Amino acid sequence: MGLIELQNVAKTYPGPRGGIVALHDISLKINAGEFVAVIGPSGSGKSTLLTVLGAMNPPTSGKVIVDGIDIYDLSNDRQADFRRAYLGFVFQQQHLIQHLSAMENVMLPLVVTPMNGSKKERARQSLLEVGLADRELHLPGQLSGGEQGRVAIARAIVNDPPIILADEPTGNLDSQTGREILGLLMALNKRGRTIIMVTHNDEAWSLASRVVTIRDRVIVADEERCGH
Amino acid sequence: MSSMGLKDIAFCNLKRRKVKNIFLTFGLLVGVSVVVALFATVATMQADINRKMDEYGANMVIVPDAVDLFLSYGGMAISSVSSPVNELTEEDAAKIWTIRNKENINIVAPKLLGLTEVEGKRGILLGVNFQDELRIRPWWLWRGKAPVASNEVMLGNEAARKLDKDVGDKVNVNGRPLLVTTVLESTGTQEDDYVYTDLHEAQLILGKPGKVSIIEVSAWCASCPIANIVLQTSLKLPHARVTAVKQAIATKADVLQVLERFALAMSLVVLLVGSLIVLNTMMAAVHERTGEIGILRAVGFRRSHVMLIILQEVAVLSLISGLLGFALGTFLAKVMAEVVAHTVVQVQWDPVLGLAALGLALAVGGLGGLYPAWQASRLDPVTALRSL
Repeated sequence: MGLIELQNVAKTYPGPRGGIVALHDISLKINAGEFVAVIGPSGSGKSTLLTVLGAMNPPTSGKVIVDGIDIYDLSNDRQADFRRAYLGFVFQQQHLIQHLSAMENVMLPLVVTPMNGSKKERARQSLLEVGLADRELHLPGQLSGGEQGRVAIARAIVNDPPIILADEPTGNLDSQTGREILGLLMALNKRGRTIIMVTHNDEAWSLASRVVTIRDRVIVADEERCGH
Repeated sequence: MSSMGLKDIAFCNLKRRKVKNIFLTFGLLVGVSVVVALFATVATMQADINRKMDEYGANMVIVPDAVDLFLSYGGMAISSVSSPVNELTEEDAAKIWTIRNKENINIVAPKLLGLTEVEGKRGILLGVNFQDELRIRPWWLWRGKAPVASNEVMLGNEAARKLDKDVGDKVNVNGRPLLVTTVLESTGTQEDDYVYTDLHEAQLILGKPGKVSIIEVSAWCASCPIANIVLQTSLKLPHARVTAVKQAIATKADVLQVLERFALAMSLVVLLVGSLIVLNTMMAAVHERTGEIGILRAVGFRRSHVMLIILQEVAVLSLISGLLGFALGTFLAKVMAEVVAHTVVQVQWDPVLGLAALGLALAVGGLGGLYPAWQASRLDPVTALRSL
């Protein structure tokens, strides 16, 4: 059994004429340590797949099992705990809180995490890992797009989650900056984290060890990439 | 900050939305200050009314105990006759000052009532201590000056008319020429018919040295109910009948109750408005922060964490409103007491009222903030993130 397993997952949003189908009968297994790129045209269901994996969007049918846990069998509070423990999110627009400094943004997941030791030190380590230790007091508005992306990754890894979910992490960035972000994700993957990345970026998916193609709300291709 | 907590997120938000938070605080502050001012003013007015009503006439009357006998013939009651067992004396009046709650006694006004000859006709003589009598009847109006010497008299309005006497005239009372120094304005009661002399002069005229017919007492009842004073006096004067003047008490109770109800009704209205202001402002704040809440939920905040953040913000604003509202309300109460009750009061910081004001602010704020906090916690993270 893989780290992540989707079993006949379907998602339909409420709407006219029976609703809007976002995913149709998706089954997928992802092993620990994989770098999976999910590609497909706009509206194919990629982002929905990510939110379903992220314990934020219950499927209409099917199961999502992570590390043996049926995540949608958990209560709402337990799902939040699960996200904190297992997942790190990197969003397309980074989604940093604008009035909090880089340090404070990174510390957010730690606010509600019981832990020994200094939360500030842990956050500082995360920022160091992404090469932004000297920017901890800056507000997002004072950071470049690439730096904001790094802060978002630092926030995603501060709780040391085994899985990173990245939704178009280079979407708003220029190619040079995008490469830097991808480089960070690669480094995290090399250190053992499982990365699932939704992307339109050819360069991005070329770095992945596995590419899953979604079209018309179903998986149409799932290929391992050699040499990764 | 070395360690960030939910309260830090709450404080950050408070600092960020200064104008809206000032508006919310102001709305709640006005509500709290109005309530504080109302209750403090009512308390001042209650104390004032208590004092004035206690001073305004007698609230206890003492007469000799009597045995009621019914005359009947053939099973039909014809009339009743009261025969006094023991008359009252001036010593009895003095004993009233020795009851346990003697500090509650304001005025003791003994009187001797009797029939005698006035200017050759039958007249009603009432012997009083003029100093006490005029204090216990502050509503009396009169011409002339109050009697001082034992040979000076005061005439009721009707008595003066019937005797054809006025201030400065001499009036013969049982062979004694006495000077009329005072003529009362009409009271519309039996008091208009009396010839008022000094108590000892009346005792001489009526041949009842040291005796009194009735003792009126004015007592301050705010700290000691009249029933207790009646009981204590009864124990001192077992041969007397001591009764409270029920009408005065009932009137006072009615007035105070009306004041309290008014304050309560106004307070409820004001507090409801305060709650609505909090509700409206916090709903708008939650709406603005939809994206932020989505981020918090995505990184692992539970619904209860989100709720706590909102409620902490409301609690801080409520506490500030409570403190400032209490201060403002206390000053307002001073102004209202002077304008409404024409009473000059010192600013009194009542710690109980202060705590109540804080509690009230928290309750009102909590009530208004509960729904927005709940709404915030129920936001779907995916939908919330889409708003960014």
